Formats: sequence, structure tokens, C-alpha cells
Amino acid sequence: MNPVIDYHALAPEIVLSVTIILCLLVDLFIPDRPRLVPQLASLGVLAAIIPVLTLAVSGTDVSMFGGAFVVDNYALAFDGLFLVVAYITLLVSFDEIADGDYYGGEYYVLLLTSVLGMVMMASSRDLVSIFIALETISIPTFVLAGWRKHDTKSNEAAIKYFLIGVLSSAVMLYGMSLIFGFANGTKLSVISEYSAGSPPALFAVAIFLTIVGFAFKVSAVPFHFWAPDTYEGAPLPVTAFLSVASKAAGFVALLTIIRFGFFNSSDSWQPLIWVLAAASMTFGNLAALRQTNIVRMLAYSSIAQGGFILVPLAVAGDVSGPSAWEAVLVYLMIYAAMNLGAFAVVMAVSRRTHSTEISSFAGLGRVDSVNAVMLSLFMFSLAGIPPLAGWFAKFVIFRAVFDAGTTAAVVLGVIAALNAVVAFFYYSNVVRRMWFDEAPEVVSSPRPASVALTLAIGITVVVVVVVGVYPEVFARLGQLAFASG
Amino acid sequence: MTEFYREYLAVAVLIGAALALVGLMLGVGKLIRPVRPQADKYITYEAGSDPVGGWGQSNVRYYVYALLFVIFDVEAVFIFPWAVGLEPLGIFGLVEMVVFILILVLGLVYAWRKGVLRWA
Repeated sequence: MNPVIDYHALAPEIVLSVTIILCLLVDLFIPDRPRLVPQLASLGVLAAIIPVLTLAVSGTDVSMFGGAFVVDNYALAFDGLFLVVAYITLLVSFDEIADGDYYGGEYYVLLLTSVLGMVMMASSRDLVSIFIALETISIPTFVLAGWRKHDTKSNEAAIKYFLIGVLSSAVMLYGMSLIFGFANGTKLSVISEYSAGSPPALFAVAIFLTIVGFAFKVSAVPFHFWAPDTYEGAPLPVTAFLSVASKAAGFVALLTIIRFGFFNSSDSWQPLIWVLAAASMTFGNLAALRQTNIVRMLAYSSIAQGGFILVPLAVAGDVSGPSAWEAVLVYLMIYAAMNLGAFAVVMAVSRRTHSTEISSFAGLGRVDSVNAVMLSLFMFSLAGIPPLAGWFAKFVIFRAVFDAGTTAAVVLGVIAALNAVVAFFYYSNVVRRMWFDEAPEVVSSPRPASVALTLAIGITVVVVVVVGVYPEVFARLGQLAFASG
Repeated sequence: MTEFYREYLAVAVLIGAALALVGLMLGVGKLIRPVRPQADKYITYEAGSDPVGGWGQSNVRYYVYALLFVIFDVEAVFIFPWAVGLEPLGIFGLVEMVVFILILVLGLVYAWRKGVLRWA
């Protein structure tokens, strides 16, 4: 009566786990070669992509552990996204970690552990496995946020993130325990069956609490207040990782739990997500307008972008086809590329200027025109201007809204459209300062950007431009991921 | 009232009940307790020692040992149920547990290599 285990389907997780253990051992026993661990970590992430591809080609769905762990196209699409994001995060980390007064090896071990949780998350179809995956993602990132341990801002970032993380887990667990009490099971298929009947009114409370827990994780307004301080205090590569990978993992958890578990109770979750989406977009954008530090601006902009990702979820119950689910996946993929790219350029520039204030980007067009062009591309993409990838992300959202066609959906669509206009102001403000303002005094001791950082900017800019011109690439991926579901 | 609002009414009722419970507990306490203010009573209570100035002499090393204890604690938590189910699981179960323990022991190896175990 051994449990049936398909090692091919588990290969991405196994490859990552072995890489984590090897990294830790290499760091402990070969300490005089500090470059070995990062190389090993990036090789491991690339190696983990191989089984994702072979599984996608083989095309058979695998369900393990009583249906708590499922490997299908949906899971593989997100696995691929997480692993590529992890690779780019590693690329932007090398310089920052090697230069600073940091522990090197542990950084990569913790980062990969968090990625392991994300890869598990995409396959989880049970409240328990979703929760374990979520904690595997969160706990290493609490430590990573405080990586600059002599910097009080970094300590503040870690403490705030940790306290909010624990609080959100507690709220979420309370909701999950209520759901378990009602549905008499933790499997999402069981919950889905239960909610198809006529659940009591208190079931709405359970859904409410669970979704509020996830709202903390994806920093949706009004559960966002930790995000700007944490993003500003954490080391820049960690901020990039938190605002892209860890946020995306939260959305995947929300998507999974709504699509496979709560779907039939759309009366309970749709209004809640509607409010979260509208508040996140509006507040995130208005707060971003006032920021003078580019990292804080990107933090608020990521709250607003999170609001946009919630829009298709808020109307998903009224959409007959999979276009709302596809919109979430496509938006996350495009958002990952443009946001990581923006952070990579900020890192490259701040290596020279030693500052992340927006004023330090003034006149960048004359001093460092390549990076200025790159940052302009990412900013315009985030604002959603064609022909850069951001417009297609906005397009799939509005398509889902029109597919739903209800009054609530249309109102949310109008709020989203107004917000897209507001967002244009602060994104273009950065561009304006780079090209039209005078450069400030030159700061001493520039550190040149490494090949890895340049490669990360290169990869993301190619994605942003190519997907903007040929959006079919990601649209097709989205269709494949939700074809059977 | 539609079904839709009735569902959210449950959320409102729960929030109300939570607030009422806190108010009730604090309110009843306020009503029935005698009030005889003394300056000493308003000092923050901290296990009998003075809350300000008297920093504890607990060595920071104990903290690390407490952390290391967690390794063995987690091991035990999982080994007990595993031992009950070992017979039907057979060799597969044995191999799985060995892998699990080896991964946990890595934590101890880490502490050892970082010199945490030396009491100096």
C-alpha cells in the first residue's frame, strides 16, 4: 500500500530540493570558492525547467497523494513562470550579494527554498498542501527581507513582513478551519462539491477570512500597509523577488482556491474581490503619484498592478469561458517581465549613483543612454502603452470584463480604465526626468554592472518587446494552460 | 432582502459578535472589580522582576541551542506517527524516513560548521 509516486511529475521539485542541499553543503565545506554556490543555484533552476518542458510535451495529467497534488498544464504553466522568474532573480542577485557585507551561500539556499514552495503551490489542490506551500514560500523571504542586517531599515522590513505574514496566516487558517468544518474535507474538489449545494450563510464568513488572508499576501488594499516599507528596506534583488515571484505565488494560490474550490459560491467571493481590486488600483496609483523614491514608487505601482490582476478574478463567476483565468496568467507573465526589468535597471543605475531617489535618475539619458532607454521601455510597458507587452496585459483584463458583461464588471472596467490614465502620469514622470532634466553632480566610485545583470535586463526587455508585438505567444500559452479545465 | 445580502449579513454579524465579546469581557471586569489605585500596580508586570533597568543575564547562546532543539523536536513529531504506520509502508517508508532525517541533520551539520556548538 505504498503511495503511488510519479517521479517524473515530481522532478522539478526534486531537482530543486537536491540543488538546495548541494548549495548548503558546498557553502559549508568549500567556503573559499564563493562563486560556486551562485553558479550551482542557477544551474539547478535551469535544470528544473527541463522536466517542466518534458512534462508539458508528454501532456498527461498526473494526480498524486489522493488528489492533493496535481501536475497538469495549469500547474506546469505557473511552474515555468516561477522558475524563469527565479533564474532572472538569481542573475540580478550576483553583484548585490557579492559586493555587500552579506552571507553569500545562505542567500541562495533561502531563495531557492522559497522557489521550491512556489513550484509546489502551482500543483497544490488541497487546503493543507496550499498552506504548506505558502509557508515554504514565506518563511525564507522573512529572513531575506532582513538580509542587510546592519541596516535598521532592513530590520524594520523583515519585522513588519514577518508580523504581517504571521497575522495573515492566522486569519487564513481560521477561515480554512471553518471551511473544513463545513465541507468535512480539505480537498478543493470536496469543497467545490459542498458549495454547489446550498451552504449556510456562515460559509461566506469562512470564504471571507480565507480570502482576506491571501489579500495580505498579495498586498491588496486595505491589507497592503506592510508592502512599501518592506520593499524599501529589503535589499533590491529581494524586493524584486517579493514584488514579482512571491506576489505571483499569492495570486496563484488565490486563483487555485477560487477556481477549484469556491467557484460555485461566486456570490460570496466576487463582491469581496471586487472591492479589493477597485481599492488596490485606486489607492496604489494615488499613493504612487506622491513618491520621490523609485523603489517606493514601484512598491505602490505593484499594489496597483495587483489590483488589475484581481479584476478578472472579480468577474470570473460571470464569465462562461476560461478568458478570466487566462487573463490572470497572461497578466502575471507580462507583469513579471516588466517589473523585474524595471528593478534590474534601477539596480544597474544605483550601482553608479548609490541612490534610488527619483531625482538621481535626472539626466540619465545623457549620462547612460542605454539604461535610460531600457527604463523608459519598462515604464511605458508598465503604463500599458502599445507596442510594449503591458498593453496586452491590460487588453486581456478588459476582454474578461466584457465577457462577463454584468453591471458590476463594467463599473470595475471603468475604474480600471481611469486608473490606467492616472498610472501613466507617474510612470512617464520618471521618463521625463531622465530625458529632459539636468543630471545632478556625479557621484564617486561607480561600480560597473556585471554581465549577469545586463543579461537579466536583456532577457526581460526582449520579452517586453516581443510579446508586445506578437502577443499570440503568451495568449497561446494561456489557452493551453486552461484548455482541459 | 436578497440571498446575496443575507450571505454578507453573516460576516457583519460575526464582526459584531467579535466586538461585543471583547466589550463584554472588559466591561464586566470593569464593573465587578474593586478599584484601589496604587503606583506599584501600574508598573508593567514582567514575571516579578523590575521591568526597567534589570536586564536579564540569559546568555544569547541558549537561544541558538533552543533553535537546534527544534531540529530534534520536529524529527520526533514525525517519527511517532511514522512508527505506527511502518509495517504496511515497509522498505519504502524506511527509506523515506532516512531521507527526511538526513535533511534535518543537515541543520545540525550547518550549526556545527558555523562553530555554533563550541561553548567559548
